[in-house]
Amino acid sequence: MIARFDDLLGRAVSMRALALLRVLAGPAVLLHLQPFLSHGWDGRTYQDGFYEPYAAWYPELPEAVYVGLLWLAAAAAVAMSLGFLTRVATATTFGIVAYNLFLSTTHFHNNRAYLVIVLGLLAVAPCGRELSLDAWIRRRRGRAALDTSAPAWPLWLLRFECAAIYGASGLSKLVDPDWFGGTVTWQRVVRARDELEAWPLPDWAVSALTDRGFHTGAAKFIVLTELFIALGLWWRGTRYAAVWVAVVFHLSIETSASVQVFSYLGIAVLVIWAVPSTRDRVLRIDPAVGRHRRWGAVVRRLDWLARFRVEPAPTGSRMEVVDRDGTTIFGAPAVVLTLSRLPLTAWFALPALLHPGVSRARRAGRDRITAPVAAESPMGER
Amino acid sequence: MAVVALQLGLVARGYWSDHKEFAFQMFPESSTWRADVVRVTADGRRVPIERAWSGYRWDELVQDRGLTYPSIRHHADAGLDNQLAFLESALDWVANNTPRDDETRYLEARVTSWHNADPPRVEVMRSGVRQGAG
Repeated sequence: MIARFDDLLGRAVSMRALALLRVLAGPAVLLHLQPFLSHGWDGRTYQDGFYEPYAAWYPELPEAVYVGLLWLAAAAAVAMSLGFLTRVATATTFGIVAYNLFLSTTHFHNNRAYLVIVLGLLAVAPCGRELSLDAWIRRRRGRAALDTSAPAWPLWLLRFECAAIYGASGLSKLVDPDWFGGTVTWQRVVRARDELEAWPLPDWAVSALTDRGFHTGAAKFIVLTELFIALGLWWRGTRYAAVWVAVVFHLSIETSASVQVFSYLGIAVLVIWAVPSTRDRVLRIDPAVGRHRRWGAVVRRLDWLARFRVEPAPTGSRMEVVDRDGTTIFGAPAVVLTLSRLPLTAWFALPALLHPGVSRARRAGRDRITAPVAAESPMGER
Repeated sequence: MAVVALQLGLVARGYWSDHKEFAFQMFPESSTWRADVVRVTADGRRVPIERAWSGYRWDELVQDRGLTYPSIRHHADAGLDNQLAFLESALDWVANNTPRDDETRYLEARVTSWHNADPPRVEVMRSGVRQGAG
């Protein structure tokens, strides 16, 4: 058991998802630093008002040095996203953001804690070998590209942290009778009734949202949603649904509460749930057909997780996608499957996979794989 | 494994600690609170902190964590324990960081809090006694 676990954590896997997350994390850091930098620009820092150090020994810097450090973090975050001196930039960003978080209990917010966790794991993972200026500079100098795979443990650890956040949040609500019974959400909505009435909602919707009975069910739905995300991310059969629900969940929170960078970060981190292997699906296009060529160009642009190899098919061929398991599908279902595997379009395309036409095409594709195997074995063994 | 154990420990710690660091308990309560905060001077006067004193203003000294205007009823964003722990620390911080003030002995907050739908609860908090007042 321990040996298998060890093997799982030590096995070399693609760092592509972490590289993409690194790119996306830079804007989150800038958004996070913005109020600190803005106050610093106006000559105010945390030291000018109430703050509460976690420990007396924790080093505090003169104000000018502190503000300078924040600007260094902003510059490092930009370098981290661009992938310039990636390891140093990411470690610097992590170090300063973490230092700032632990300066005072008043600095602590859950979204900032999540940001520190993400930055810490990006800092220890070799995620600057692709999607980076470092890789581009290396290519320009004619040096061989570095291996883009590395031991899987930072990815697994970040997956654990990601799931733990939804799990911890859901569990704390599940065990709180006021939360699970609907009192908390009902009171929050009733107190915000003025704001609710300012939204373009019909009267019946406002009445429903402020009804106590509605929240008895809604609260349970929220809690179970969080727990579903926490658990659903771990199994292949439920992962896409969990990712889809998580995006809706974060967007709903963003519209109803002020959560700083949590929504953006929460959605960005979902990329780590992609299977950590690259170019293991094939998109075949007929280069003689303009529509196919354009589609190939779109996929190359949006395939940030490097899911597809785009290959030419013989002239006159239909567009086809060969999935990881060897399933081949053609035409519109192939387009839907491709869109469902690209980070920017996945959320919109995933529900379309349930369309009967797409399901049928995928089933037929799987049957085409199994049919010859079955033919070889009259007993149906595979 | 150490990180996993630490994270699980922090999640568990969130059930009893005030600030719940890394416990990820989001939107935990609908609780609200308000407080009448006064400075108690050496001669026994009780002066609301809404009035500036010795060149200080509460709303300039305490600008974070929803504590700027304590007399207005607020939602306790991260729960009542968290909010009241911050208020208590803020009283101490103001008492210790207003050197021009030579009349205040301590700050006192009479806090009314409503934990979710429970009836209101009233408690009194005091900063440490300042040396050399009066």
